Amino acid sequence: MNAQLDNPPETAVLELPPEVVKLAIKDLSFFYGQKQALFDVSVSFAANAVTALIGPSGCGKSTLLRVLNRMYSLYPGQRAQGQVLLDGEDMLSPRVDVATLRARVGMVFQKPTPFPMSIFDNVAYGVKLYEKLSKAEMANRVEDSLRRAALWDEVKDKLKESGLSLSGGQQQRLCVARGIAVKPEVLLLDEPASALDPISTARLEETIAELKRDYTIVIVTHNMGQAARLSDHTGFMYLGKLIEFGETEQLFTNPVTTRARDYITGRFG
Amino acid sequence: MTAVADRPHAAAAAPPRSAFGAAFDKGFEILCFSAATFLLTALGGIVVSLAIGGWPAFQAFGFGFFTSAEWDPVQEVYGSAGAVAGTLISAGLALLFALPLSFGIAIFLVELCPPILRRPIGTAVELLAGIPSIVYGMWGLFVFAPWFAKHVQMPIMMSAQPGTLWEKITTGVPNGAGILSASIILAIMILPFIAATMRELLLTIPAQVRESAYGLGSTTFEVVRKVSIPYVRTGAIGAVMLGLGRALGETMAVTFIIGNAHGFPTSVFASGSTIASTIANEFAEATGVLHTSSLIALGLVLFIITFVVLALARLLIGRQANL
Repeated sequence: MNAQLDNPPETAVLELPPEVVKLAIKDLSFFYGQKQALFDVSVSFAANAVTALIGPSGCGKSTLLRVLNRMYSLYPGQRAQGQVLLDGEDMLSPRVDVATLRARVGMVFQKPTPFPMSIFDNVAYGVKLYEKLSKAEMANRVEDSLRRAALWDEVKDKLKESGLSLSGGQQQRLCVARGIAVKPEVLLLDEPASALDPISTARLEETIAELKRDYTIVIVTHNMGQAARLSDHTGFMYLGKLIEFGETEQLFTNPVTTRARDYITGRFG
Repeated sequence: MTAVADRPHAAAAAPPRSAFGAAFDKGFEILCFSAATFLLTALGGIVVSLAIGGWPAFQAFGFGFFTSAEWDPVQEVYGSAGAVAGTLISAGLALLFALPLSFGIAIFLVELCPPILRRPIGTAVELLAGIPSIVYGMWGLFVFAPWFAKHVQMPIMMSAQPGTLWEKITTGVPNGAGILSASIILAIMILPFIAATMRELLLTIPAQVRESAYGLGSTTFEVVRKVSIPYVRTGAIGAVMLGLGRALGETMAVTFIIGNAHGFPTSVFASGSTIASTIANEFAEATGVLHTSSLIALGLVLFIITFVVLALARLLIGRQANL
């Protein structure tokens, strides 16, 4: 069982049992114009679990995230081939309305991106697009989302102030609250803590651990410790390919592929 | 000078600076200061000379110069209200037409335009800004006005019910030269400025902010209305005021097409005049002291209007920046 196999495989991707799978990617390739950024990636994400994607810069992990909510379709010249199955339905099919898809698959970015409006309106913004709520219902939804994002206590007395007036860490949790207020099924987090100080990062990680109960979470991170602490499954990517995917504990303690082992033990990347 | 040129990178080096270097620096300081004060002096000089030049008119007509719309060089009776109204109405209408168009152009270029069209449309907008105003004026008078009279003014006037307010504000000589035509020409002239500035502003929005809005499932319209425009509103106000400032002071094109009738404009198709067009038309022929003085006083009024517009813009921007 010790790692040093004589013939380590090039890739090792764990197949999850179909009943736990929320989101599945099948043979996904992605192109920025002529340049191919993802090569036949196939992987599944389990429901009510956190899946971390790790790998050196430029390995395609953020690109993979951008395919999951079709963010790339804002930019002409970027295209994806393959399938992204959300509850078995192909989200890349042109028949799927992209706005509806994005309401089901929420995203939080690397840098906080509060909108130029009040804290309350920032959280209510997405909800208003899809639901007609009474004032009281909306206030409840906003409070609930801010509580889940561990921000309520800090902002409950200044909901009318601009979202831009908060600190960086608070802004990022505001963006998480905004993302979960629309009750998505999947939450994508693209290095959400990379611009935060350690205390804010710790609070955000607690938030993510809490959110797992209700959501399927995919997080891209450069921070190996964060991936190890937070996630149930981890995927290691390299040069646009998924090299290894498995239980987080197994991948971090006993990686099967040479590349993943080299990366995790710090030999490169 | 050679001492400085010989050691261009020696700023922090050990050898002591020559006395010449210090003196030169002092001179440099004084030069920069003079450049800045020159501007203030020029501004003050213009205001003072306008006030002095216009003094006889203010003295002769008192406050009536601002309230009366009578402008009669034969009787030597002058009031600025007609020209002020013409200026404000034509500039206001121009802004009303130009605003949605230029925002539409900017939003299309930034959010929706296929890359292949982006350059041609962007260049066309910039070219529009480069056309001299006299060309707009000629085109307006010889091409636009006759077309406008035949295809817009006549049908509207014919369809207006006699006795209604609509009929009142649309009467006029059907020659196409009037307040509304001038406003439309003005709108075309200020459109490229507002559109180009808005485009630059929209391009400064971080991609992730837009993507976040799209990421919540917003449509393009929702992103533009709720996120993009609020994000740049400070600059947008500035862009609009820039356009308004230009519309208020525009002379040649307006002089060609506004009809140059004195007095209060009674309908949108009526001939009128603006402050700038009145001055351009009459300055060469103004012989009497009072006539000349009244024109100079008009100039002062235009200066004050422009100043107030700019001050209001500053106030708005300041308030928004605190948000």
